[in-house]
Amino acid sequence: MSEWWSYSLADFLLFSPRVYYRLFETLNTTWWLAVTAALVAGIITFGLSIRHGNRGNRVALVLLAMIWGWVTAGFLWYYYQPINWIIPYFIPAFITEALLMVMFAARRMPLRFGWRGDFSSIAGGVMIAMAIFVYPFVGLIEGRELIQAELFGSAADPTAIGTLGFILLARGSWRWVLLPVPLVWCVLASGTLWVMDQNIAMLPLTAVWLTVLGGWMDQKNGVTRRSLLDTGGDD
Amino acid sequence: MFLLGRRNFLRGATAIGATAGLGAIKPLWAQTLDNRAVLDVIKKPIPSTGEMIPAVGLGSWITFNVGNDPVLRDQCANVMQAFFDGGGRMIDSSPMYGSSQDVIGYGLDKLGARDRVFSTDKVWTSDDGAEQIAETSNYWNIEKFDLLQVHNLVGINDNLPLLFDMKDEGRLRYVGVTTSHGRRTDDLIAVMKNTPLDFVQVTYNPVDRKIEDYLLPLASERGIGVIVNRPFQGGHLIDRLEGEKLPDFAAEIEVRSWAQLILKYLISHPAVTCPIPATTQPMHAMENMQAATGPMPDDDMRQRIAAVIGVL
Repeated sequence: MSEWWSYSLADFLLFSPRVYYRLFETLNTTWWLAVTAALVAGIITFGLSIRHGNRGNRVALVLLAMIWGWVTAGFLWYYYQPINWIIPYFIPAFITEALLMVMFAARRMPLRFGWRGDFSSIAGGVMIAMAIFVYPFVGLIEGRELIQAELFGSAADPTAIGTLGFILLARGSWRWVLLPVPLVWCVLASGTLWVMDQNIAMLPLTAVWLTVLGGWMDQKNGVTRRSLLDTGGDD
Repeated sequence: MFLLGRRNFLRGATAIGATAGLGAIKPLWAQTLDNRAVLDVIKKPIPSTGEMIPAVGLGSWITFNVGNDPVLRDQCANVMQAFFDGGGRMIDSSPMYGSSQDVIGYGLDKLGARDRVFSTDKVWTSDDGAEQIAETSNYWNIEKFDLLQVHNLVGINDNLPLLFDMKDEGRLRYVGVTTSHGRRTDDLIAVMKNTPLDFVQVTYNPVDRKIEDYLLPLASERGIGVIVNRPFQGGHLIDRLEGEKLPDFAAEIEVRSWAQLILKYLISHPAVTCPIPATTQPMHAMENMQAATGPMPDDDMRQRIAAVIGVL
């Protein structure tokens, strides 16, 4: 691409906010049952992930994997791909993320969810709560209709933010393998929303910074390296 | 003078249209089309053949990229309906514009308008241009395009010979090259000097006027038609002017909005064949077509239009 310096982010965004938010309206109304089920699955996963001990780990991972599969097939593939040229490059990454979660669920204790009470746990919990309970309704402040709410479990942005929270709640080095896809997606989401002049653009980027900070503190405190066997029995 | 802004006008029209819909009456834009005589739209010659073409076309950048949304696809078809009913023919798209090509194909199907459209698209790849053109044809469901252009000069060394071969074989009527935002103008000028192009597509409006100095005179000299993209700077120019009072001299050329004033400024340049404004609103499509009617500004008024818009 010649004269690349003359291009701005806006030159790569080929759809309008009107069309973008219609995606969620159509998704929510057409697939309301699946959208509701995915949201409930997210809430259950949140509950399982903050419980003490290891019980429910596998269920949480499987539910998260199903959510990522649904976001890929339902939202990215059918709705978002036709209007955004970059999505086909992300679909394999989203599928890989879901498969990694399934693999981790099948293995014996590659990572463990659980509340530790440290910075990462708090940040992770806040990010998940925000993704599930707050993010969908931020649009109301900006004048959008409730039917256009971006719901965790079906819309990519809150799902990626919440997944970063789940990763922070987990222990074990393998959790970092799950990090790149939601992290990169959040950066892309922030850029997209920023170009569309949406105030919500700061939320995905805030999630990225919290994740990086939490990960750094976990490394510093040795949380990541601590034996997963410390926390008790398998589920 | 009370001036109804483009958006306020649209809001009112939409409200009236919605109210009318309760009584199974056509929306306002369709009523307006029904209630007036067929527009006597100005046509301009394509320099290489003399074929006459309506002086306003329809772009699809961003506005027609609506994906699989059935409501928005129908809205786009309504825009195309208003455009055709207003006397328009040239619709332009690109493989770069997401689902726009597919949406245009949907609209042409719905309206049965393949015999009315002057089909204009682009090739935008450094790989297999022929393959991309085949995909584009499938989206439009058109076997022979009127005009294909090398988009932003991408892969021009391969794609331009490909397009000329298609033209020689009778599979394409016209060949062009595009740029936008004033990028790669020097490269475009070199192509214009060295190849028998039928069209160039460039950015031009009352505040982006660099091409007036050299490119437009060169197009006239070489017999190359000029399609104008971004006539409203992607909508930013109209946003900027909204609420501002039209200059008094606008009445002399029967202009009722800033959009029409800008389009008349462009159409009246002798080297310009056809600006291609994009819109999501049938009312705007109709309003744009009306800009290709009535008296046009002379050189002096063109300078005044540029001066007025330049300072607002």
